[in-house]
Amino acid sequence: MDDLLKDLTRQEYKEGFVTEVEQEFVPKGLSEDIIRLISAKKQEPQWLLDFRLDAFRKWQKMPEPHWGHLKLPRIDYQDIIYYAAPKKDSERPKEIDPALMETFDKLGIPLKEREVLAGVKSKEVAVDAVFDSVSVTTTFRKTLADKGIIFCSFSEAVREHPDLVRKYLATVVPAGDNFFAALNSAVFSDGSFCYIPKGVECPMELSSYFRINAAGTGQFERTLIVADEGSRLSYMEGCTAPMRDENQLHAAVVEIIVEKDADVKYSTVQNWYPGDAQGRGGILNLVTKRGLCRGAGSHLSWTQVETGSAVTWKYPSTVLMGDNSSSEFYSVAMTNNWQQADTGTKMIHIGRNTRSRIVSKGISAGHSQNSYRGLVRVNPGAVGARNFSQCDSLLIGAQCGAHTFPVIMNRCPQAVVEHEATTSKISDDQLFYCGQRGIAPEDATALIVGGYAREVLSRLPMEFAVEAQKLLSLSLEGAVG
Amino acid sequence: MDSVYVIGRDAVPSYLRLDSGESLRMTLVVPEGESCRLALEVDLDGPGASLDLAGASMSTGTEQVDIRVTVRHNVPGCRSEQLFKSVAGGSAKVSFDGLVYVASGSVHTVAHQQNHSLLLSEGAVCESRPQLEIYADDVECSHGATTGYLNPEELFYMRSRGIPEEQARAMQVEAFLAPIYNRIDNDR
Repeated sequence: MDDLLKDLTRQEYKEGFVTEVEQEFVPKGLSEDIIRLISAKKQEPQWLLDFRLDAFRKWQKMPEPHWGHLKLPRIDYQDIIYYAAPKKDSERPKEIDPALMETFDKLGIPLKEREVLAGVKSKEVAVDAVFDSVSVTTTFRKTLADKGIIFCSFSEAVREHPDLVRKYLATVVPAGDNFFAALNSAVFSDGSFCYIPKGVECPMELSSYFRINAAGTGQFERTLIVADEGSRLSYMEGCTAPMRDENQLHAAVVEIIVEKDADVKYSTVQNWYPGDAQGRGGILNLVTKRGLCRGAGSHLSWTQVETGSAVTWKYPSTVLMGDNSSSEFYSVAMTNNWQQADTGTKMIHIGRNTRSRIVSKGISAGHSQNSYRGLVRVNPGAVGARNFSQCDSLLIGAQCGAHTFPVIMNRCPQAVVEHEATTSKISDDQLFYCGQRGIAPEDATALIVGGYAREVLSRLPMEFAVEAQKLLSLSLEGAVG
Repeated sequence: MDSVYVIGRDAVPSYLRLDSGESLRMTLVVPEGESCRLALEVDLDGPGASLDLAGASMSTGTEQVDIRVTVRHNVPGCRSEQLFKSVAGGSAKVSFDGLVYVASGSVHTVAHQQNHSLLLSEGAVCESRPQLEIYADDVECSHGATTGYLNPEELFYMRSRGIPEEQARAMQVEAFLAPIYNRIDNDR
């Protein structure tokens, strides 16, 4: 066991490097002046500044939420730099800094349009790469524009498509929705914007990649996805950060609007720096993700693989407003060492014949705490609504915890809601069976965990599935004793 | 030990502690017309203790039924079973909030918790919060919760065989609550 623990501490978080680039920062702290400064730096219109200030005033009156099953370290909001951007060469403002190019190369994210993710030769992927507070580049914009698809950084969208942004911004997650969403609305720096016009099927996977680099900063990006009538989209999101001994804050907001008969699939592989084996450092991942199935027959699918972050506080939710709309939530949350995760989903059934399905697999090892928290709510008019939830937890080791906190609220006498959850460990019988066939305990555990998580992993786009599988076995390393 | 409590007739204990080898079978019944707020805590403090807890509620008017149960497994090798079933009609509101807590080191725990509800009318509300909080790895714990309504196919079947609708519905409700009511007959 001791040897294994040593191995674990030595095990590297291979994305944990720091890129040396010249960066510009705004002063530490949070005030109306800072927000005005950020807004001015981004040359934003007045309405957006007003939106930010309104959110900030709401935020000031809100208490920090502590209902999660988490020990959240104290966050000093005045000790964070809210905007950090790599400096642009003033003579060549159009070119990407080679150091950034190299960074994303190292992370396996292609910023040139001919390569593909993780060396897998398959479909092309359009990437919006966000480095600290700004988007570095967005690839394949031309190809996509030919189809009428808008895919660009949030700042560009504000400049080039202000009407669209203004129409949809904060319609799913209002500025005062919750403490962290309000904070994000006040200081959000960049993120991705995506609009798929009526009847268009997006020809390639779209993806956002978020990288935190600068010390003492937080990342506050905002993603807005609009899928108009009858369109289809598969969207992926990835993220990493350097290894540091202090916690860094990441408070994002993702809003998705799905119109009539549109279909959106949103996949996340979350691999923020999780802290070291003693629980020092790591990202505090406090995000709000919500989708609105507005039109009849719309469909939204969430798939998430959560392996990183010191603290995860995340509940991708769907509001099923259109009749016959449906949504799924597939999640694997893996925690090791001193990581804490409180994650789950909310399904709000409003329209008739709405359907939702939740499959959540939690894996806890080391001293970690892993909770599923979910809400399934059926409103009186949701005749024929149907939900099924399955939440399993797997415990590896005697010091970790696995918890399940679902809430079911039903007000419709023609709706059916079902929830089931189990908690167990990898049985000695399974390990013995593998051992008998010459599979070492560590490999056997990885094998069993892989099988356990398969239902979710198989939902991921190809490029991600390979990486997710690797991540899971890496995160597990040293957990068996 | 065997015990049946009818809410409104019997006083229900709010705290119970089971020691080594003790076992308790307890049934709670909330009859029609009775509103209540029940909070029950059970500590399983001795190895081998076992708890078999069940409850049923039938509310078809304006009742508010709120049941909260906390079962704590503090030592290894205990067992707990919970089954709660409720029927809500009229503008009744029923809620169940159940927590199974397994302390660190309480291995070989077996804990199952189930909560099923039926909604009979538009104005009725049902809330269910089954919760598991587990700090030990070698355990067998599960919970399940469902809310639903009377199956129209079952109803059709019975009506096609000449059973009046009213009576057929009553039979469906009776069948739903039978697992709890059967315990009482045996106990008496």
